[in-house]
Amino acid sequence: MYRKQVRRRRAVLVLLVIVSLILLSTHFSEGSSGPLHGIQRGVATILGPIEEGADRALKPVRDMFDWFGETFEARGENEEYQEEIADLRERVAEAESAVGENRQFRKLLQLGPSGGIDGREAVTARVIARSPTVWYSTVTIDRGSSSGLDTDDPVITGDGLVGRVTETTAGIAKVTLITDHRSAVSAKVLPDGPSGVIKPEVGEAGELLLDFIEEDSDVEEDQMVVTAGWRAGRLTSLFPYGIEIGNVTDATSDEQETYQRVHVRPFVDLRELDYVRVLTEPGNAGDESRAANGEAG
Amino acid sequence: MILTWQIVARIALLLVAAVILQLVLFSEISFLGGTPALLPVMVVCLGLLGGAVVGAVCGFAAGLLLDSALLQTLGVTSLVLVAVGYLAGRYRESFEISNPFVPPGLAAGLTLFGGFSFAAIQLMLGVDAPVSVLVVREVILQSILGFILAIPLYPAVRWVLRPALVEGTPRRRRRFPVTLGASSR
Repeated sequence: MYRKQVRRRRAVLVLLVIVSLILLSTHFSEGSSGPLHGIQRGVATILGPIEEGADRALKPVRDMFDWFGETFEARGENEEYQEEIADLRERVAEAESAVGENRQFRKLLQLGPSGGIDGREAVTARVIARSPTVWYSTVTIDRGSSSGLDTDDPVITGDGLVGRVTETTAGIAKVTLITDHRSAVSAKVLPDGPSGVIKPEVGEAGELLLDFIEEDSDVEEDQMVVTAGWRAGRLTSLFPYGIEIGNVTDATSDEQETYQRVHVRPFVDLRELDYVRVLTEPGNAGDESRAANGEAG
Repeated sequence: MILTWQIVARIALLLVAAVILQLVLFSEISFLGGTPALLPVMVVCLGLLGGAVVGAVCGFAAGLLLDSALLQTLGVTSLVLVAVGYLAGRYRESFEISNPFVPPGLAAGLTLFGGFSFAAIQLMLGVDAPVSVLVVREVILQSILGFILAIPLYPAVRWVLRPALVEGTPRRRRRFPVTLGASSR
């Protein structure tokens, strides 16, 4: 009797491990239109409204935790901020000139009436779920293909670049953030700095790396980094030119020469995303999304 | 654990609730700089109450549900949580849970094991970016938070599943013999 139980227990374990491995390898090998992806999208579609409802219902609880967390952190950071205030006062004069530059950049961004960039239409979406591990930086938003969203659409907030859409169902979409290890964004240091590729460092949620910059480039702290938006023949970058990404925080000459990279802090607080804007191709955004943006009629 | 359809439904509801709570609440909050991982703790609780088979099946189902909801690679989370649930169940089958700190301790240990296993699978599958040592800090913090989470969660799960627990069946109140006409005073 006992041996039979042991055999059954081991058989269940082996079976579940084998099924997991089959799922893993099949998911990797099949295309995004494969049957496994289809079933997954079906489950996600069913869970989407439940997540949305739970997200709204649990918002007060989340806000309470955020308040506790922020208060706890604020106490520890108080002394640091005192020093920073003194430092920032010195920089106010420099900031005055940056304001002028900022106006020029805003013109370059060509902000449209719907908040879109580069002729794209913006669809506002709510973040309803988030990946729990540092290995996947993804969020789920409450708009999908029925609102005109498509794979590879850039996602932004008022502060800057967030990521891009990587999967869509009718009602929800998955956004891969710029802090995900699979993310790579061609970027440029302003005003006339080098170009490179913005990549994350897994585990460092609040920092990015501007990689593959030219060896002889001279990047300094506080320079702004924006999307490069390149075009080569019929190939174009997924992200239009000029979306703000962050500013350079650490640019030692050693690291620039040896590793050809500098550290960048993103403008967007990617842990505190509530609403985002998805830049869709013109004409894709349906009536539903226009109504959501307050553009109906 | 005596598995009836009602108990299976209760376990399914617990897993769906845990996945939803993980996605919309726990993944969004930062506590001591880490993100609490509810799913491994829930799977440990179910493994401790139901045994190795229940733990492994619950781990598999929870992982599959999470990967589906997040539209991410199927099978990775399942593989990790199957091992977590199985090990928790094996502990219950091999040892007596005499100390109230055993479930939280086990939740912390197996969350740590799950975190490092997940990292190992990710590294084997290939990571396209440099990996910071802060990943280790995140896994350790999740383990500590797992300990804290398990303190209220284990009794709660036990309460939900009490009709199925053999040792959880209500004890009959002992009746003292009554002698007619006798008084204790």
